[in-house]
Amino acid sequence: MSWTDYLIGALIAVVAGLDRTAAFQFMVSRPIVAAPLTGWLLGDASAGLQVGALVELLWLGRLPVGAAIPPDDTQVAVGATVLAIFFAGLTHFAALPAPLVCTLVAMPLGKAGQFFDRAARHWNGRLLHRAQQALAAGKLEEAERSHLLGIGHFAAAAFVTYLVIVGGGSLLLPILAPYFASPVAEASTWLKLAFPLVGTAVLLGTINVSRSLTLFGASFGSALLLLWLV
Amino acid sequence: MEDEKGLVSRWVLLRVWLRLFLLQASWNFERLQSLGALYVLAPALRVLYRDKDLAEAYRRHLEYFNTHPFMASPVLGAAIALEEERCRGAEGTLGVEEFKGMIMAPYAAMGDGFFWGGLRPLAAAVALFFAAKGSLWAPLVFLTLFNVPHLWIRTFGLWRGYTLGLKVVETLQRHRLPDLAIRLKEGTLVLLGGLCAYLTYRALQGEGESSIWGLSVIPLVALLGWLARRGVSTLMLTMTLAALVLAFVQFG
Repeated sequence: MSWTDYLIGALIAVVAGLDRTAAFQFMVSRPIVAAPLTGWLLGDASAGLQVGALVELLWLGRLPVGAAIPPDDTQVAVGATVLAIFFAGLTHFAALPAPLVCTLVAMPLGKAGQFFDRAARHWNGRLLHRAQQALAAGKLEEAERSHLLGIGHFAAAAFVTYLVIVGGGSLLLPILAPYFASPVAEASTWLKLAFPLVGTAVLLGTINVSRSLTLFGASFGSALLLLWLV
Repeated sequence: MEDEKGLVSRWVLLRVWLRLFLLQASWNFERLQSLGALYVLAPALRVLYRDKDLAEAYRRHLEYFNTHPFMASPVLGAAIALEEERCRGAEGTLGVEEFKGMIMAPYAAMGDGFFWGGLRPLAAAVALFFAAKGSLWAPLVFLTLFNVPHLWIRTFGLWRGYTLGLKVVETLQRHRLPDLAIRLKEGTLVLLGGLCAYLTYRALQGEGESSIWGLSVIPLVALLGWLARRGVSTLMLTMTLAALVLAFVQFG
Protein backbone atom coordinates (compact mmCIF):
# COMPACT_ATOMS: atom_id res chain seq x y z
CA MET A 1 0.00 0.00 0.00
CA SER A 2 1.24 3.47 -0.86
CA TRP A 3 0.65 6.84 0.79
CA THR A 4 -1.96 7.46 -1.88
CA ASP A 5 -3.96 4.50 -0.57
CA TYR A 6 -3.81 5.88 2.97
CA LEU A 7 -5.00 9.22 1.63
CA ILE A 8 -7.88 7.55 -0.21
CA GLY A 9 -8.78 5.87 3.09
CA ALA A 10 -8.62 9.26 4.83
CA LEU A 11 -10.84 10.82 2.18
CA ILE A 12 -13.49 8.12 2.63
CA ALA A 13 -13.15 8.47 6.40
CA VAL A 14 -13.91 12.20 6.16
CA VAL A 15 -16.78 11.88 3.66
CA ALA A 16 -18.38 9.00 5.57
CA GLY A 17 -17.69 10.79 8.86
CA LEU A 18 -19.62 13.84 7.63
CA ASP A 19 -22.46 11.59 6.50
CA ARG A 20 -22.89 10.37 10.09
CA THR A 21 -24.23 13.68 11.38
CA ALA A 22 -23.19 16.85 9.61
CA ALA A 23 -24.16 16.36 5.97
CA PHE A 24 -26.57 14.37 3.78
CA GLN A 25 -27.06 11.30 6.02
CA PHE A 26 -27.56 8.96 3.08
CA MET A 27 -26.04 6.31 5.40
CA VAL A 28 -22.86 5.94 3.37
CA SER A 29 -21.42 6.02 6.88
CA ARG A 30 -22.86 2.61 7.79
CA PRO A 31 -20.13 -0.06 8.01
CA ILE A 32 -21.91 -2.25 5.43
CA VAL A 33 -21.46 0.60 2.92
CA ALA A 34 -18.32 2.46 4.05
CA ALA A 35 -16.11 -0.63 4.44
CA PRO A 36 -16.83 -2.24 1.02
CA LEU A 37 -16.48 1.20 -0.59
CA THR A 38 -13.07 1.62 1.04
CA GLY A 39 -12.07 -1.89 0.01
CA TRP A 40 -13.24 -1.35 -3.55
CA LEU A 41 -11.27 1.88 -3.92
CA LEU A 42 -8.17 0.19 -2.46
CA GLY A 43 -8.48 -2.85 -4.70
CA ASP A 44 -10.00 -5.43 -2.31
CA ALA A 45 -13.75 -5.00 -2.01
CA SER A 46 -14.11 -8.46 -0.49
CA ALA A 47 -11.99 -7.52 2.56
CA GLY A 48 -14.17 -4.43 3.03
CA LEU A 49 -17.35 -6.49 2.74
CA GLN A 50 -16.09 -8.87 5.43
CA VAL A 51 -15.24 -5.99 7.79
CA GLY A 52 -18.58 -4.30 7.07
CA ALA A 53 -20.52 -7.50 7.79
CA LEU A 54 -18.65 -7.96 11.09
CA VAL A 55 -19.18 -4.40 12.35
CA GLU A 56 -22.62 -3.49 10.94
CA LEU A 57 -24.84 -4.94 13.66
CA LEU A 58 -22.66 -4.17 16.66
CA TRP A 59 -23.77 -0.61 17.41
CA LEU A 60 -26.86 -0.50 15.21
CA GLY A 61 -29.05 -0.36 18.31
CA ARG A 62 -27.31 2.77 19.62
CA LEU A 63 -29.46 5.57 18.25
CA PRO A 64 -28.15 9.13 17.70
CA VAL A 65 -31.00 10.57 19.76
CA GLY A 66 -30.76 14.06 21.26
CA ALA A 67 -27.32 14.67 22.73
CA ALA A 68 -26.33 10.96 22.70
CA ILE A 69 -23.24 10.16 20.63
CA PRO A 70 -23.02 6.52 19.52
CA PRO A 71 -19.59 4.83 19.13
CA ASP A 72 -17.94 5.65 15.81
CA ASP A 73 -18.52 2.42 13.89
CA THR A 74 -17.88 4.28 10.63
CA GLN A 75 -14.23 4.93 11.40
CA VAL A 76 -13.84 1.45 12.89
CA ALA A 77 -15.07 -0.01 9.58
CA VAL A 78 -12.98 2.26 7.33
CA GLY A 79 -9.85 1.97 9.51
CA ALA A 80 -10.12 -1.82 9.87
CA THR A 81 -10.49 -2.18 6.10
CA VAL A 82 -7.40 -0.06 5.40
CA LEU A 83 -5.44 -2.05 8.00
CA ALA A 84 -6.71 -5.39 6.63
CA ILE A 85 -5.66 -4.56 3.08
CA PHE A 86 -2.27 -3.29 4.24
CA PHE A 87 -1.45 -6.30 6.43
CA ALA A 88 -2.82 -8.86 3.96
CA GLY A 89 -0.21 -7.54 1.52
CA LEU A 90 2.70 -8.34 3.86
CA THR A 91 4.10 -11.84 3.36
CA HIS A 92 4.71 -12.62 7.06
CA PHE A 93 1.07 -11.80 7.82
CA ALA A 94 -0.30 -13.84 4.92
CA ALA A 95 -1.78 -16.57 7.16
CA LEU A 96 -3.63 -14.01 9.26
CA PRO A 97 -7.43 -13.66 8.80
CA ALA A 98 -6.77 -9.97 8.26
CA PRO A 99 -10.34 -8.52 8.26
CA LEU A 100 -11.13 -10.31 11.53
CA VAL A 101 -7.92 -9.41 13.37
CA CYS A 102 -7.93 -5.81 12.16
CA THR A 103 -11.55 -5.35 13.25
CA LEU A 104 -10.70 -6.69 16.72
CA VAL A 105 -7.82 -4.21 16.96
CA ALA A 106 -9.76 -1.28 15.50
CA MET A 107 -12.76 -1.63 17.83
CA PRO A 108 -11.14 -0.40 21.07
CA LEU A 109 -9.21 2.27 19.18
CA GLY A 110 -12.52 3.50 17.75
CA LYS A 111 -13.56 4.67 21.22
CA ALA A 112 -11.49 7.77 20.42
CA GLY A 113 -14.16 8.67 17.87
CA GLN A 114 -16.72 9.50 20.54
CA PHE A 115 -14.23 11.84 22.22
CA PHE A 116 -13.42 13.72 19.01
CA ASP A 117 -17.08 13.85 17.96
CA ARG A 118 -17.97 15.38 21.32
CA ALA A 119 -15.13 17.89 20.93
CA ALA A 120 -16.43 18.89 17.46
CA ARG A 121 -19.89 19.55 18.93
CA HIS A 122 -18.36 21.68 21.69
CA TRP A 123 -16.45 23.70 19.08
CA ASN A 124 -19.71 24.17 17.22
CA GLY A 125 -21.05 25.93 20.32
CA ARG A 126 -18.60 28.74 19.51
CA LEU A 127 -20.12 29.01 16.06
CA LEU A 128 -23.50 29.62 17.65
CA HIS A 129 -22.07 32.54 19.66
CA ARG A 130 -20.34 33.81 16.55
CA ALA A 131 -23.64 33.73 14.66
CA GLN A 132 -25.38 35.58 17.52
CA GLN A 133 -22.71 38.28 17.44
CA ALA A 134 -23.00 38.54 13.66
CA LEU A 135 -26.77 38.97 13.94
CA ALA A 136 -26.34 41.64 16.60
CA ALA A 137 -24.02 43.46 14.22
CA GLY A 138 -26.52 43.08 11.38
CA LYS A 139 -24.24 40.74 9.39
CA LEU A 140 -26.80 38.17 8.35
CA GLU A 141 -24.72 36.39 5.74
CA GLU A 142 -21.90 35.91 8.23
CA ALA A 143 -24.37 34.24 10.60
CA GLU A 144 -25.25 31.78 7.83
CA ARG A 145 -21.59 31.15 7.03
CA SER A 146 -20.92 30.32 10.70
CA HIS A 147 -23.15 27.30 10.29
CA LEU A 148 -21.07 25.88 7.45
CA LEU A 149 -17.86 26.10 9.48
CA GLY A 150 -19.20 23.24 11.58
CA ILE A 151 -18.53 20.91 8.64
CA GLY A 152 -14.82 21.56 9.19
CA HIS A 153 -15.08 20.55 12.84
CA PHE A 154 -16.85 17.28 12.05
CA ALA A 155 -14.42 16.56 9.20
CA ALA A 156 -11.46 17.13 11.53
CA ALA A 157 -12.98 14.79 14.13
CA ALA A 158 -13.44 12.06 11.52
CA PHE A 159 -9.92 12.50 10.19
CA VAL A 160 -8.26 12.38 13.61
CA THR A 161 -10.26 9.27 14.56
CA TYR A 162 -9.12 7.62 11.32
CA LEU A 163 -5.51 8.54 12.17
CA VAL A 164 -5.82 7.04 15.66
CA ILE A 165 -7.25 3.77 14.32
CA VAL A 166 -4.90 3.34 11.36
CA GLY A 167 -1.84 4.69 13.21
CA GLY A 168 -2.58 2.77 16.40
CA GLY A 169 -3.44 -0.38 14.49
CA SER A 170 -0.25 -0.17 12.43
CA LEU A 171 1.75 -0.01 15.67
CA LEU A 172 -0.20 -2.68 17.55
CA LEU A 173 -0.67 -5.33 14.88
CA PRO A 174 3.03 -6.20 14.37
CA ILE A 175 3.36 -6.55 18.17
CA LEU A 176 0.20 -8.62 18.69
CA ALA A 177 0.20 -10.68 15.50
CA PRO A 178 2.98 -13.16 16.49
CA TYR A 179 0.96 -14.12 19.59
CA PHE A 180 -2.53 -14.08 18.14
CA ALA A 181 -2.17 -14.98 14.48
CA SER A 182 -2.35 -18.73 14.92
CA PRO A 183 -5.10 -18.88 17.61
CA VAL A 184 -7.25 -16.38 15.72
CA ALA A 185 -6.83 -18.33 12.47
CA GLU A 186 -7.89 -21.54 14.25
CA ALA A 187 -10.90 -19.92 15.86
CA SER A 188 -11.85 -17.71 12.91
CA THR A 189 -15.07 -19.61 12.10
CA TRP A 190 -16.44 -19.07 15.62
CA LEU A 191 -15.10 -15.53 15.92
CA LYS A 192 -16.83 -14.54 12.67
CA LEU A 193 -20.05 -15.92 14.13
CA ALA A 194 -19.55 -14.10 17.44
CA PHE A 195 -19.82 -10.62 15.88
CA PRO A 196 -23.34 -10.90 14.40
CA LEU A 197 -24.53 -12.76 17.50
CA VAL A 198 -23.36 -9.96 19.80
CA GLY A 199 -24.85 -7.35 17.46
CA THR A 200 -28.16 -9.18 17.33
CA ALA A 201 -28.19 -9.63 21.11
CA VAL A 202 -27.57 -5.92 21.71
CA LEU A 203 -30.31 -5.07 19.22
CA LEU A 204 -32.66 -7.48 21.00
CA GLY A 205 -31.84 -5.77 24.28
CA THR A 206 -32.56 -2.30 22.97
CA ILE A 207 -35.19 -2.63 20.22
CA ASN A 208 -38.15 -2.07 22.53
CA VAL A 209 -40.53 -4.59 20.97
CA SER A 210 -42.69 -6.82 23.14
CA ARG A 211 -41.86 -10.53 22.74
CA SER A 212 -38.68 -9.69 20.83
CA LEU A 213 -36.92 -12.85 22.04
CA THR A 214 -39.92 -14.96 21.02
CA LEU A 215 -39.87 -13.54 17.49
CA PHE A 216 -36.11 -13.99 17.19
CA GLY A 217 -36.14 -17.47 18.74
CA ALA A 218 -39.02 -18.71 16.58
CA SER A 219 -37.39 -17.41 13.43
CA PHE A 220 -33.96 -18.75 14.40
CA GLY A 221 -35.29 -22.15 15.42
CA SER A 222 -37.46 -22.67 12.36
CA ALA A 223 -34.72 -21.54 9.95
CA LEU A 224 -32.10 -23.75 11.61
CA LEU A 225 -34.38 -26.77 11.65
CA LEU A 226 -35.28 -26.22 7.99
CA LEU A 227 -31.60 -26.01 7.06
CA TRP A 228 -31.00 -29.19 9.06
CA LEU A 229 -33.84 -31.00 7.27
CA VAL A 230 -32.84 -29.93 3.76
CA MET B 1 -46.43 27.77 -5.79
CA GLU B 2 -45.96 31.42 -6.62
CA ASP B 3 -49.38 31.39 -8.25
CA GLU B 4 -51.07 29.96 -5.16
CA LYS B 5 -49.32 31.92 -2.44
CA GLY B 6 -47.40 34.52 -4.36
CA LEU B 7 -44.37 34.76 -2.10
CA VAL B 8 -42.06 31.73 -1.88
CA SER B 9 -41.22 30.35 -5.30
CA ARG B 10 -40.37 26.76 -6.18
CA TRP B 11 -36.79 27.83 -6.82
CA VAL B 12 -36.52 29.13 -3.26
CA LEU B 13 -38.09 25.93 -1.94
CA LEU B 14 -35.51 23.96 -3.92
CA ARG B 15 -32.74 25.95 -2.22
CA VAL B 16 -34.34 25.25 1.16
CA TRP B 17 -34.53 21.54 0.25
CA LEU B 18 -30.85 21.41 -0.67
CA ARG B 19 -29.93 23.16 2.58
CA LEU B 20 -31.91 20.57 4.55
CA PHE B 21 -29.10 18.10 3.85
CA LEU B 22 -26.79 20.34 5.90
CA LEU B 23 -29.19 20.92 8.79
CA GLN B 24 -26.85 19.38 11.36
CA ALA B 25 -23.54 20.85 10.15
CA SER B 26 -23.21 23.03 13.25
CA TRP B 27 -24.94 20.68 15.74
CA ASN B 28 -23.93 21.79 19.24
CA PHE B 29 -24.82 20.98 22.83
CA GLU B 30 -26.27 24.42 23.58
CA ARG B 31 -29.09 24.74 21.05
CA LEU B 32 -28.57 21.57 18.97
CA GLN B 33 -29.96 22.28 15.45
CA SER B 34 -30.95 25.94 15.96
CA LEU B 35 -28.26 27.46 13.72
CA GLY B 36 -28.98 24.73 11.17
CA ALA B 37 -32.71 25.59 11.14
CA LEU B 38 -31.85 29.22 10.53
CA TYR B 39 -29.48 28.24 7.71
CA VAL B 40 -32.19 26.09 6.08
CA LEU B 41 -34.91 28.74 6.36
CA ALA B 42 -32.71 31.69 5.33
CA PRO B 43 -33.53 31.67 1.57
CA ALA B 44 -37.28 31.78 2.34
CA LEU B 45 -36.88 34.42 5.05
CA ARG B 46 -34.96 36.63 2.62
CA VAL B 47 -37.91 36.51 0.24
CA LEU B 48 -40.42 37.34 2.95
CA TYR B 49 -38.66 40.06 4.92
CA ARG B 50 -36.32 43.01 4.52
CA ASP B 51 -33.97 44.95 6.80
CA LYS B 52 -35.00 44.97 10.48
CA ASP B 53 -37.82 42.50 9.94
CA LEU B 54 -35.37 40.09 8.34
CA ALA B 55 -32.91 40.40 11.23
CA GLU B 56 -35.78 39.83 13.65
CA ALA B 57 -36.84 36.71 11.71
CA TYR B 58 -33.26 35.41 11.83
CA ARG B 59 -33.15 35.89 15.60
CA ARG B 60 -36.52 34.16 15.93
CA HIS B 61 -35.16 31.00 14.29
CA LEU B 62 -31.92 30.95 16.25
CA GLU B 63 -33.81 29.72 19.30
CA TYR B 64 -33.42 26.13 20.52
CA PHE B 65 -34.45 23.60 17.89
CA ASN B 66 -34.04 19.85 17.76
CA THR B 67 -35.90 17.18 15.89
CA HIS B 68 -35.10 14.16 13.75
CA PRO B 69 -33.06 15.45 10.77
CA PHE B 70 -35.43 13.93 8.20
CA MET B 71 -38.60 14.99 10.02
CA ALA B 72 -37.30 18.56 10.05
CA SER B 73 -38.58 18.81 6.45
CA PRO B 74 -42.31 18.99 7.27
CA VAL B 75 -41.63 21.08 10.39
CA LEU B 76 -39.57 23.68 8.55
CA GLY B 77 -41.88 23.57 5.51
CA ALA B 78 -44.79 24.46 7.78
CA ALA B 79 -42.62 27.10 9.48
CA ILE B 80 -42.16 28.80 6.08
CA ALA B 81 -45.93 28.75 5.57
CA LEU B 82 -46.46 30.33 9.00
CA GLU B 83 -43.80 32.96 8.31
CA GLU B 84 -45.62 33.75 5.09
CA GLU B 85 -48.87 34.23 7.01
CA ARG B 86 -47.11 36.49 9.46
CA CYS B 87 -45.56 38.47 6.63
CA ARG B 88 -49.02 39.03 5.16
CA GLY B 89 -50.40 40.05 8.53
CA ALA B 90 -52.67 37.00 8.58
CA GLU B 91 -51.04 35.23 11.52
CA GLY B 92 -53.28 32.65 13.22
CA THR B 93 -53.51 31.76 16.89
CA LEU B 94 -50.33 29.70 16.74
CA GLY B 95 -47.10 31.56 15.98
CA VAL B 96 -44.15 29.98 14.22
CA GLU B 97 -42.08 29.79 17.43
CA GLU B 98 -44.90 28.05 19.30
CA PHE B 99 -45.47 25.65 16.40
CA LYS B 100 -41.79 24.65 16.18
CA GLY B 101 -41.53 24.30 19.95
CA MET B 102 -44.69 22.22 20.14
CA ILE B 103 -44.02 19.87 17.24
CA MET B 104 -40.26 19.20 17.26
CA ALA B 105 -40.20 16.71 20.15
CA PRO B 106 -43.05 14.44 18.92
CA TYR B 107 -41.60 14.49 15.41
CA ALA B 108 -38.15 13.67 16.79
CA ALA B 109 -39.62 10.66 18.60
CA MET B 110 -41.45 9.53 15.45
CA GLY B 111 -38.37 9.94 13.26
CA ASP B 112 -36.03 8.23 15.72
CA GLY B 113 -38.38 5.28 16.07
CA PHE B 114 -39.10 4.91 12.36
CA PHE B 115 -35.80 5.74 10.66
CA TRP B 116 -33.14 4.88 13.27
CA GLY B 117 -34.99 2.20 15.20
CA GLY B 118 -37.01 0.58 12.40
CA LEU B 119 -35.90 1.20 8.84
CA ARG B 120 -32.13 1.25 9.34
CA PRO B 121 -31.91 -2.12 11.16
CA LEU B 122 -34.31 -3.67 8.63
CA ALA B 123 -32.23 -2.44 5.67
CA ALA B 124 -29.07 -3.67 7.42
CA ALA B 125 -30.56 -7.11 8.10
CA VAL B 126 -31.56 -7.54 4.44
CA ALA B 127 -28.16 -6.30 3.23
CA LEU B 128 -26.36 -8.70 5.58
CA PHE B 129 -27.97 -11.66 3.79
CA PHE B 130 -26.26 -10.46 0.61
CA ALA B 131 -23.00 -9.91 2.51
CA ALA B 132 -23.21 -13.42 3.98
CA LYS B 133 -23.22 -14.77 0.42
CA GLY B 134 -20.24 -12.55 -0.42
CA SER B 135 -22.30 -10.39 -2.76
CA LEU B 136 -21.15 -6.84 -3.33
CA TRP B 137 -24.78 -5.86 -3.89
CA ALA B 138 -25.07 -5.64 -0.08
CA PRO B 139 -24.19 -1.92 0.19
CA LEU B 140 -26.46 -1.01 -2.72
CA VAL B 141 -29.36 -2.98 -1.28
CA PHE B 142 -28.90 -1.19 2.05
CA LEU B 143 -28.68 2.27 0.47
CA THR B 144 -31.75 1.69 -1.72
CA LEU B 145 -33.95 0.32 1.07
CA PHE B 146 -33.01 3.15 3.41
CA ASN B 147 -32.92 6.11 1.06
CA VAL B 148 -36.22 5.68 -0.78
CA PRO B 149 -38.30 6.51 2.34
CA HIS B 150 -35.61 8.95 3.50
CA LEU B 151 -35.69 11.05 0.33
CA TRP B 152 -39.47 10.77 0.15
CA ILE B 153 -39.93 12.37 3.59
CA ARG B 154 -37.23 14.97 2.92
CA THR B 155 -38.84 16.03 -0.36
CA PHE B 156 -42.58 15.63 0.11
CA GLY B 157 -42.33 16.51 3.79
CA LEU B 158 -41.03 19.98 2.90
CA TRP B 159 -43.55 20.39 0.09
CA ARG B 160 -46.53 19.24 2.13
CA GLY B 161 -45.36 21.26 5.12
CA TYR B 162 -45.28 24.41 3.03
CA THR B 163 -48.54 23.81 1.17
CA LEU B 164 -50.55 22.57 4.16
CA GLY B 165 -49.07 24.65 6.97
CA LEU B 166 -50.39 23.50 10.34
CA LYS B 167 -52.49 20.79 8.67
CA VAL B 168 -49.33 18.85 7.87
CA VAL B 169 -49.59 17.44 11.41
CA GLU B 170 -52.86 15.67 10.54
CA THR B 171 -51.42 14.39 7.25
CA LEU B 172 -48.44 12.81 8.99
CA GLN B 173 -50.66 11.35 11.68
CA ARG B 174 -52.52 9.47 8.96
CA HIS B 175 -49.29 7.67 8.00
CA ARG B 176 -49.10 6.17 11.52
CA LEU B 177 -45.31 6.11 11.59
CA PRO B 178 -45.04 4.75 15.17
CA ASP B 179 -47.15 1.69 14.24
CA LEU B 180 -45.14 1.22 11.07
CA ALA B 181 -41.92 1.43 13.10
CA ILE B 182 -43.08 -1.43 15.34
CA ARG B 183 -43.84 -3.58 12.25
CA LEU B 184 -40.40 -2.83 10.83
CA LYS B 185 -38.74 -3.77 14.11
CA GLU B 186 -40.67 -7.03 14.27
CA GLY B 187 -39.66 -7.78 10.68
CA THR B 188 -36.04 -7.04 11.56
CA LEU B 189 -36.10 -9.53 14.43
CA VAL B 190 -37.50 -12.25 12.16
CA LEU B 191 -34.87 -11.52 9.51
CA LEU B 192 -32.07 -11.52 12.08
CA GLY B 193 -33.30 -14.84 13.41
CA GLY B 194 -33.02 -16.31 9.93
CA LEU B 195 -29.64 -14.69 9.30
CA CYS B 196 -28.14 -15.90 12.59
CA ALA B 197 -29.52 -19.40 11.94
CA TYR B 198 -27.89 -19.48 8.50
CA LEU B 199 -24.54 -18.22 9.84
CA THR B 200 -24.65 -20.70 12.74
CA TYR B 201 -25.54 -23.58 10.41
CA ARG B 202 -22.69 -22.64 8.07
CA ALA B 203 -20.20 -22.43 10.95
CA LEU B 204 -21.26 -25.82 12.36
CA GLN B 205 -21.08 -27.43 8.92
CA GLY B 206 -17.64 -25.93 8.38
CA GLU B 207 -16.40 -27.38 11.65
CA GLY B 208 -18.05 -30.76 11.04
CA GLU B 209 -20.41 -30.42 14.02
CA SER B 210 -24.07 -31.44 14.18
CA SER B 211 -26.41 -28.62 13.17
CA ILE B 212 -28.70 -29.27 16.10
CA TRP B 213 -26.07 -27.73 18.40
CA GLY B 214 -27.06 -24.46 16.81
CA LEU B 215 -30.12 -24.27 19.05
CA SER B 216 -27.77 -23.40 21.92
CA VAL B 217 -27.31 -20.02 20.25
CA ILE B 218 -30.77 -18.87 21.40
CA PRO B 219 -29.95 -18.90 25.16
CA LEU B 220 -26.53 -17.39 24.37
CA VAL B 221 -28.12 -14.49 22.50
CA ALA B 222 -30.70 -14.09 25.30
CA LEU B 223 -27.88 -13.91 27.86
CA LEU B 224 -25.90 -11.39 25.82
CA GLY B 225 -29.05 -9.30 25.29
CA TRP B 226 -29.74 -9.34 29.03
CA LEU B 227 -26.17 -8.19 29.72
CA ALA B 228 -26.58 -5.41 27.12
CA ARG B 229 -29.77 -4.27 28.86
CA ARG B 230 -27.85 -4.27 32.16
CA GLY B 231 -25.46 -1.72 30.65
CA VAL B 232 -22.56 -3.93 29.56
CA SER B 233 -21.06 -2.22 26.50
CA THR B 234 -20.97 -3.78 23.05
CA LEU B 235 -17.20 -3.48 23.03
CA MET B 236 -16.93 -5.37 26.31
CA LEU B 237 -19.35 -8.08 25.13
CA THR B 238 -17.50 -8.57 21.83
CA MET B 239 -14.05 -8.66 23.38
CA THR B 240 -15.13 -11.00 26.18
CA LEU B 241 -16.86 -13.38 23.78
CA ALA B 242 -13.84 -13.29 21.44
CA ALA B 243 -11.51 -14.07 24.37
CA LEU B 244 -13.77 -16.96 25.48
CA VAL B 245 -13.86 -18.36 21.95
CA LEU B 246 -10.06 -18.13 21.66
CA ALA B 247 -9.61 -19.79 25.04
CA PHE B 248 -12.10 -22.54 24.19
CA VAL B 249 -10.46 -23.30 20.85
CA GLN B 250 -6.98 -23.33 22.39
CA PHE B 251 -7.74 -25.34 25.50
CA GLY B 252 -11.07 -26.96 24.75
